[in-house]
Amino acid sequence: MNILKDKVVLITGSSRGIGRAIAKKCALAGADIVVNYRKSGGSSQAQAEELCTEIEKMGRRALIVHADIAARDSVKGMFNEVNEKMGKLDHLILNAAKAPFKPLEKLFERELRQLVDTNYIGNIFCIQAALPMLEKTGGKIIFISSLGSRFYNQAYPLGSMKAAMESVIRDCAESLRTKNISVNAVCGGIVKTDSFKVLRQFWDNIDMLPAGLYVEPEEIADVVLFLCSEASRGITGQTIVVDKGLSNAICRTPGGEEVRGKKDNLINN
Amino acid sequence: MSQNLITEEKVFEELKKAIVETLRVDESSITRESSLINDLGAESLDFLDINYRLEQAFGMKMARHFVLEHIEEMFGEGTAIDEDGRLTDKAIELLKIRFGNNMPELQPGMDMDEIPAMVTVQSMVQGVMDILNSLPAACASCGNSAWQSDDGIKIKCGSCGDSATFTNGDDLIKAWLTKVQEEKNIF
Repeated sequence: MNILKDKVVLITGSSRGIGRAIAKKCALAGADIVVNYRKSGGSSQAQAEELCTEIEKMGRRALIVHADIAARDSVKGMFNEVNEKMGKLDHLILNAAKAPFKPLEKLFERELRQLVDTNYIGNIFCIQAALPMLEKTGGKIIFISSLGSRFYNQAYPLGSMKAAMESVIRDCAESLRTKNISVNAVCGGIVKTDSFKVLRQFWDNIDMLPAGLYVEPEEIADVVLFLCSEASRGITGQTIVVDKGLSNAICRTPGGEEVRGKKDNLINN
Repeated sequence: MSQNLITEEKVFEELKKAIVETLRVDESSITRESSLINDLGAESLDFLDINYRLEQAFGMKMARHFVLEHIEEMFGEGTAIDEDGRLTDKAIELLKIRFGNNMPELQPGMDMDEIPAMVTVQSMVQGVMDILNSLPAACASCGNSAWQSDDGIKIKCGSCGDSATFTNGDDLIKAWLTKVQEEKNIF
């Protein structure tokens, strides 16, 4: 399978989790990968370096770039480096995210600003900085969203940013259509990554979900791969939900009492 | 009540295990003085992973939020961290009471981002011990006082067999803050 042969794909926040799975899938499909991570000197950097070694073993080029998408200069520096060292960019995968876990009404001003800085403004910085290269390649932009964009989730202010980004995706798809750049999103259900460990601490019943409703990072990555491929040429401005049917299985009991994550009330499992 | 079924040494052992599994570091590199961030390479997500492993091991709940967040929740935004992200004098005063010798670097005006690096293995052990020491005198299910532990990790009722329940870490911090405020009237 070489559907991304010699393409260059940048994945923000790809040292761990979904980003990492996307990086590996794209490399397996023949792409050269730009691995981005934010925090230097810790476990992210170690995992990013390990990932680059894996990608190189697959016979693909891997460029590791340390950048915080919330900082404009940092973003500019990252895309300049991609241009210099990889010579082009075919696909931009907006995967990085960072958010506190508490209800919106409890966020302090600095937390609110960080939330918007990284998850909204930071993603748009990336789109802006990538455009000159994407225009040349007729590239694709894919945003990684989550069900928090449309459903309430305890202590999950990131959801509102995911919703905002899904509408950014719709708008950019239209405004960039004449430049032959397609823009889409993949909206994941409950994915067992490092971030799931956070979710698990704020969502007591989550372990009661049947195993079949969890999404593997590779299952998100496969859809990203499809959206990067020629096979998806008819799709733009869309958000594709990849949740093993979870969002269809969430229901309310006839009495009107809300039930979430309770095993007995989930259908088909 | 202070419990004597789980020793501090056992907590240290379990914490080392959790750190090794999460951060994939060599166990011999972990000392009580190690900074999770500076010495062992932990990041914020790693803390949650380590906490989760401890919770599974001991059957309790670690604090979700650091004491600085609780201060601002209780006494108002800006009381612990100023507009520039620096710790207020009052926050330092309170942290010194709480962590004392475990965090000798504390000083007024320091950046809030410097705080997480001060979390050491020993300060985490202490956090776990505080929660374990919230063991109630009697079992909530049967009312008997017959706590026991077969493995030195999990406490259960020797009378009805139910697992012990502890006060969660956040509630302990809130109770401590309330007490200190009553005594010293800092905020």
